Amino acid sequence: MFYRKNIIAVTGMFLCVFLIVHLSANAILLFPETTARTLYNSYSTTLRESIVIKIVAYLLYLSIIFHVVYAAIVTYKNRRSKKDKYIMNHKHETSSWASQNMGLLGVLILIFIVVHLVNFWARVKLGIGEKVGLDAYGNIDVYEVTYSLFHNIYYVLFYSVLMIPLGFHLHHGLQSAFKTLGFYHKKGLAVLAKISLIYAIIMSIGFAIIPVIVYFK
Amino acid sequence: MKITFKIWRQEGANSEGSLKTYDIDGLTEDMSFLEALDHLNERLVLKGEKVVAFDHDCREGICGQCGVFINGRAHGPHDHMTTCQLHMRSFKDGDIIVVEPYRAGAFPVIKDLVVDRTAFDRIIEQGAYITAKTGTAAEANAILIPKEVADSSMDVAACIGCGACVATCKNASAALFTSAKINHLNKLPQGHPEAHKRVLDMTNQMAIENFGSCTFTAACEVECPAGISISSIAEMNARYIKAKLFE
Repeated sequence: MFYRKNIIAVTGMFLCVFLIVHLSANAILLFPETTARTLYNSYSTTLRESIVIKIVAYLLYLSIIFHVVYAAIVTYKNRRSKKDKYIMNHKHETSSWASQNMGLLGVLILIFIVVHLVNFWARVKLGIGEKVGLDAYGNIDVYEVTYSLFHNIYYVLFYSVLMIPLGFHLHHGLQSAFKTLGFYHKKGLAVLAKISLIYAIIMSIGFAIIPVIVYFK
Repeated sequence: MKITFKIWRQEGANSEGSLKTYDIDGLTEDMSFLEALDHLNERLVLKGEKVVAFDHDCREGICGQCGVFINGRAHGPHDHMTTCQLHMRSFKDGDIIVVEPYRAGAFPVIKDLVVDRTAFDRIIEQGAYITAKTGTAAEANAILIPKEVADSSMDVAACIGCGACVATCKNASAALFTSAKINHLNKLPQGHPEAHKRVLDMTNQMAIENFGSCTFTAACEVECPAGISISSIAEMNARYIKAKLFE
């Protein structure tokens, strides 16, 4: 029963590191229009052409799949361990809402990831849907894809609002991953709880604010 | 003081149960919760009804028998407390108190509020003991153990095996209990010879008994009468990984 949780923890931590890189790259979108377009497109071209990034990308796909599949198995087994529920249960007095609802939060994030992949990955890498043009330097114009997407208010809302469950999921998930993998130093855990909170706030607000800023550009 | 109890009544392991309402008068604030149940049972006997079955033993907070779920909390509304140490002064005159048995697949209901917690015993049997001969009390002092190690071992040895951790856990995980029993011995030199085997065998039994996985909601450490921290579970995880790698 331990190996499943360990896989969820390791893949989750890898995804946490990925989010830092992803948010840093997305910050390019905050530059003025022309700079942002050139930088963003050349950056994404560099990524697509790098062998290292290709390996990391496959690790990323695998991480998401393993994280989701094993979380689903653990959740299913845990529910079977507690079939009968209490008629009165004041669980909010003993634990955080996020920690009790990681499955629900995870499903919301998964829905986000699927839509996000359809919006970008499917169009740019698989060439499905409307064709993506080139910019002045001959790079695939990913900036244009982003720019037009975030001028649709519904997508802006979708991308921004779903960063709330992401924040809650990361806050509980990051510190729990360390505990699952055996980090048990008490003072260290208290520090880790604070780091997880700061990390979750930066990630959720960071990712949520970019579509809004692009919308008003 | 007057209280309305809504108590889970269930004839046997395989029968259907339901909440039954009992209005009871003549309680006092200095009665313990178990004494209030005794008071109710005395009235039921006089009326010729079947008494409410509930577990209890020492009534001084050290045996871990009196596990019931009171108003949505294991052992009632306070943190780190057994049911026998809960007093009626924690409730108001006219309150409705819902009393349910512990809910976990591994703790099936035997009757009313009594659950079968022998799954814990079977985990204990897998290694919560040492095979080294420790001799007499005087000889025990021959093995020097740093104070902080002895203290941290005592912190988890304080587990009374009440099962509140399982009861409050949304996954019915026995991780806090099992980790306490493992760490208690593995921290000490007397526990070292079987350290790896202890972790692997006891956690294996935990899985066999249909306890869920720990997802660190931390509800258990709030309800634990001994105040054992979930860092104990993280420590068990570390010991498990170490045992897997070096066994």
